[in-house]
Amino acid sequence: MKIQKRLYSYYLIWPALLIYSAFFVLPAIIGLYYSFTDWRLDRIAIQFVGADNFTRIFTDDILLLAMKNTFIFAIVTVVGKNVLGIALAVALNLRLRTRNLLRAIFYSPSILSILVIGIVFTPLLRTEGAVNRILESIGLHGLSQAWLTNPSIVIWTIAAVSIWQTTGFQMAIYLAGLQSISKDYYEAATIDGATSWKSFRHITLPLLLPAININVMLTLIGGLKVFSEVFILTGGGPGNASQVFGTIILRTFGEGNWGLGTAINTLLFAFVAVISIPLLLFMRRKEVSE
Amino acid sequence: MHSIKKYSTVALAGLLSVSLAACGGNAGPATNNGESAGSGAGEKVTIELAISKSSQDSPFIDKTLLDDFEKETNIRINLQLLPAEQTATVLQTKLAVNETPDLVQYNLASATTDLNLERNFEILDDEEWVSRLENKDVLSAYGHVYSFHISQDTGMQGVVYNKDMFEELGLEIPTTFEAFLAVCEAIKSSGVTPVFMPYKDNWAANIWPAAAFANAVEPSWFDQLNTNQVKWTDVPEFVTALEQQYEVYKKGYTNADVLADSYDMAVGKFLNKEVAMMFMGDWLIESVAEKDPNMNLGLFAIPSGSDPKIGASPLGGQLFIPKQAKHKDEAKKFLAYIATKDVAQKIVNERAYVSNLNDVVTPELPGYKQEIVDLYIAPKKTALTTDAYMLVDRNELYRALQDQFAGSKTAEQVLSTWSDKFSQLMKDKGAEGF
Repeated sequence: MKIQKRLYSYYLIWPALLIYSAFFVLPAIIGLYYSFTDWRLDRIAIQFVGADNFTRIFTDDILLLAMKNTFIFAIVTVVGKNVLGIALAVALNLRLRTRNLLRAIFYSPSILSILVIGIVFTPLLRTEGAVNRILESIGLHGLSQAWLTNPSIVIWTIAAVSIWQTTGFQMAIYLAGLQSISKDYYEAATIDGATSWKSFRHITLPLLLPAININVMLTLIGGLKVFSEVFILTGGGPGNASQVFGTIILRTFGEGNWGLGTAINTLLFAFVAVISIPLLLFMRRKEVSE
Repeated sequence: MHSIKKYSTVALAGLLSVSLAACGGNAGPATNNGESAGSGAGEKVTIELAISKSSQDSPFIDKTLLDDFEKETNIRINLQLLPAEQTATVLQTKLAVNETPDLVQYNLASATTDLNLERNFEILDDEEWVSRLENKDVLSAYGHVYSFHISQDTGMQGVVYNKDMFEELGLEIPTTFEAFLAVCEAIKSSGVTPVFMPYKDNWAANIWPAAAFANAVEPSWFDQLNTNQVKWTDVPEFVTALEQQYEVYKKGYTNADVLADSYDMAVGKFLNKEVAMMFMGDWLIESVAEKDPNMNLGLFAIPSGSDPKIGASPLGGQLFIPKQAKHKDEAKKFLAYIATKDVAQKIVNERAYVSNLNDVVTPELPGYKQEIVDLYIAPKKTALTTDAYMLVDRNELYRALQDQFAGSKTAEQVLSTWSDKFSQLMKDKGAEGF
């Protein structure tokens, strides 16, 4: 029987656990209670209202639009960031002379503050802004849009800006994953006559699954919780066309309807948990360990 | 090998403690609370005044004023500057956790909706200066005086226009909507954008409606509205007003990208003579005059409906004393100090205010202000805009107006959306009748 000598006692975990409980777990539980009340700015007494807040979320047009936009944003950014991230990682893993420079260039937007991104992109995306001018100059006049003021495409524009900003980060994680794949597999595949697409599909992707796992989780959770990109670029506008959960919670709190705001927050938490935990378990099972 | 590990551990620990300190250092300005509460012993008392960063030109926080006050009473006023977009939220939080400042500068009308005026703020009816007020109404709510100001300049809203351009083109001030469109056509033909609409800042889209609506109904109508006896959708003139504003845009009399242009571009547009008019308030004229005193701007009433009147916004930038303030007496002393004849007269002269104290004389007003007084205030052609009567947040109305300009709502839909939201908000507040 192997006796495992523990270096550190379990008691050392208590301080961190205490702080975590006090600042995360406890407020979450208290928040859960408040979501079922009519907690407001201008009222001292709080009454239990059951699921009223939640029925309101599913019947109010703007709250439903916020839900829809949040999911659109999350899906578009998950797909965009990961597909582009893998593509960039594979491309920048080849033997190029400017490889390191290119890696730095593609990574750099992710270290920019979101405020800077907002200030830079807002004039670029105006109808007379640089993006449309470039499209016109290469003859694609028909593609020029009111990127940030057309209600039907505004959330897609914001998703595109977000993809531009953080794909480099995803690329960095994928590069790390790629470099841990042994070259022997590729050599064996080439000897057996596999095309580069085949070796990508059957060697790279399966062995990259841990990295894909991490990145999909990060981008999915980040996409569902989005706030700053939307707030900085459009503030939820024009009108309410680009509202997402994050911004609508801010607006609801601003209106003084704190119980409803907490309820939306609880719902968001539930969505994130219900979507990401099964996904995590599913992808863990698919991972191939060396 | 071992020593490298030791050094890196020490370095890492040092880095961590430095970053923790950096986080902790952001404790905020509340560290001056709880200083000596008694002022009788001649000890220095420090009181807190919370004000939005966007109101830093307020006369009440002028350094000379604060220094003089400190010299005279040994009371020091510490300023808490709040970020502009979060002023309401920060104040709400401070009031909720009883970390209240001793003085707050805010707008009376918004304070009733945002800060729960009745619950959180002191009634000032018994203060000495109240008996010297010319116009108590601009400082009162619910029948009591809640705020302090020495000006009754409420900020007028209408169409800011470039007088020189009008003179050059031989244009008269339009008093009907058709005449207004004709004026726009003439200005457009001369190569200048007639109207600047910065509706990325959605509140700007409500200037025309707020004045036009107030022009269409009696003030008593709003009391009925606030008790659910009438609805926003009951008045056809409201729909007309919204359609009119949209028509100006549709006819091409405005900047191209109304939903992407913001208010902070307005001053520049006037200075560069790119635009001739804007639906805004006289504060814009002041901002432009600051940058270029030679610009000749004026204000005329929104030409919607018959016999248009200038829209008067509720007075802003007043001082309030929270009920939970720790140094209420000292705060009241500050108000009394500002209200003394000499101090008040100095401020009124410097800022060209219309004085609200009966022993403080209104100085000679700048041209455009005197014109507004002569043309509109004196002959009583002013009407309080809808903002004065609202008890709820109007953000959804502003957003609905943006939707109209984005093409996704008609004027009727804007009103019905806002009417529903208004009922919902009033119901949430527990207002009578909803």
